[in-house]
Amino acid sequence: MQVETILHVEKLSKRFGKIRAVNQLSFEVGRGQVFGILGPNGSGKTTTLSMLLDLIPPDDGTFSWFGQPPSKDSRKRIGSVIESPNFFPYLDAVTNLKIVADIKDKPYDDIDEVLQLSGLYERRFSKFRTFSFGMRQRLALASALLGKPEVMILDEPTNGLDPQGIAQIRDLISLVASRGTTILLASHLLDEVQKICSYVVVLRKGVMLFSGNVREVLAVSDSIEMASSDMPVLAAAIAEFPGFLASTAINGILQVHFDRPVVTSEINTFLYIKGIVLSHLSEKKRSLEQHFLELLQDTP
Amino acid sequence: MIKLLKIEFKKIRTYKVFWILFGLYFVFLAAGILLAEFMINHMVNNVNQRMPIPFPHVAIYYFPDVWQNVAFFASMRYVLIFPAIIMIILITNEFTFKTIRQNVINGMSKTEFLVSKLLMILLMAVIMGIILTAGSFFIGLFHSGFTDVNLFSKGLPFMGGFFISLACYMVYAFFCGFMLRNTGMAIAIFTLYSLIIEPVIYFLFRAPFMFKNTIYTYLPVNAVIRLTEYPAIPMLKKMMGLELQNHVSIVACLIPMAYAAIMIGIVFWVMNRKDL
Repeated sequence: MQVETILHVEKLSKRFGKIRAVNQLSFEVGRGQVFGILGPNGSGKTTTLSMLLDLIPPDDGTFSWFGQPPSKDSRKRIGSVIESPNFFPYLDAVTNLKIVADIKDKPYDDIDEVLQLSGLYERRFSKFRTFSFGMRQRLALASALLGKPEVMILDEPTNGLDPQGIAQIRDLISLVASRGTTILLASHLLDEVQKICSYVVVLRKGVMLFSGNVREVLAVSDSIEMASSDMPVLAAAIAEFPGFLASTAINGILQVHFDRPVVTSEINTFLYIKGIVLSHLSEKKRSLEQHFLELLQDTP
Repeated sequence: MIKLLKIEFKKIRTYKVFWILFGLYFVFLAAGILLAEFMINHMVNNVNQRMPIPFPHVAIYYFPDVWQNVAFFASMRYVLIFPAIIMIILITNEFTFKTIRQNVINGMSKTEFLVSKLLMILLMAVIMGIILTAGSFFIGLFHSGFTDVNLFSKGLPFMGGFFISLACYMVYAFFCGFMLRNTGMAIAIFTLYSLIIEPVIYFLFRAPFMFKNTIYTYLPVNAVIRLTEYPAIPMLKKMMGLELQNHVSIVACLIPMAYAAIMIGIVFWVMNRKDL
């Protein structure tokens, strides 16, 4: 299926002194995709988004929004939350949103709706400085939603929030995504990207490590560890187990991967029939975070 | 243009600090102007106690002198500092609250952002100019009565001079705030320079009595303040042998305008190159 390209990034680079914050980054975002930029702190996520929003001039490379060179008009079609919520503390929520609507050339009609969506309607005439951290973050999201943008850019939208706040924000993102809005989400949380995004690029020190479908890039395969007195026989026997993928022997323990979920009792029975008695059998689940770290370490 | 001003107005409409400083400016100004005659005559009385032939009392609120006098008091550095501080706060707030970033993210161009602030300066200078012109007119009318229609027109050059002073001085403040980005530091440095450093430079390089002080004339803040060089008090001329200014010199207007133009140029240059 041919998807319309919303964002095209080509060989984008930015240096801060000797540090290459972003290095030759290229990717493409199609309409309706929920696209994740995943990387640890300092991997260049915010720098990339800042360049895409004309806050920082890139040293090298180009990008285009909606098939056109970047301009203020393309930015009006994008709703963004970058790092912290930026509003005038002495103005109330409604006035702050009106300023955003004015800049975006959008009518004020949406303001009540986005305030209700973000659960701030009751506090709409309170000054921004009286808002809690979670409310500030939700107001930022509300302002990004103003005027029904075609694209939303979210930089660490759940950073620093309590679990309830995180759940609220994620629900809101899912709701927006279900309406067909393209979403570009930067996060250092693998779990977040995996829950929300369909496509992902993984960054480390400004360099793109992987890109593609979330399920493929972040696929987690659990393994099962086993040991017996005769390891070579064990290795040969388990290879015949249905769904066997690969096995590696480490420190007298055989680590076996399967292409499907496998129950340990199944294996025990299978090997017992073959005359092998196991001295060790355990399931090893890798946490997502651990997997993410491995992903980052795997490459030179 | 209208859209940009609308946005700027929303930013200040309920901003107490802005209105308090704006009000303070007029309180200081009104107090200064209305007390000036009393103060000067009080001094004259003191001097007269030791004089065989007493000096006459001064009258500064009559047409056409009132124009020049009000322009003089309104552009004194201690008074002008208020609108300058307002301007510094308005621009550094945008950096402190990172709203300048957010404005650009939301689809304002960097040029539009700067233009909106410059329009704000222009609008404030126009409004203050109108208030001052109206004020001077009523003060003059109250003291001299409606005597001559032509007297009104004679004052306009001085009000125009005041407008240029105020607009240029606010551009200086805007420049200082934009470059330093920090409210406290910008106010401190700007006030220090305006109120202390330039007067000290004047003191160090002052010319012998009655000679024109050349270096000082070209210093930015002084160039703004000296558009209306002296109040129109005929006695001053007699006492100090000063050549009394009776018009606003075009050349004198060009000096602060040139400074302001250079500063605006630098601000645009920096804005398009620096990270926000």
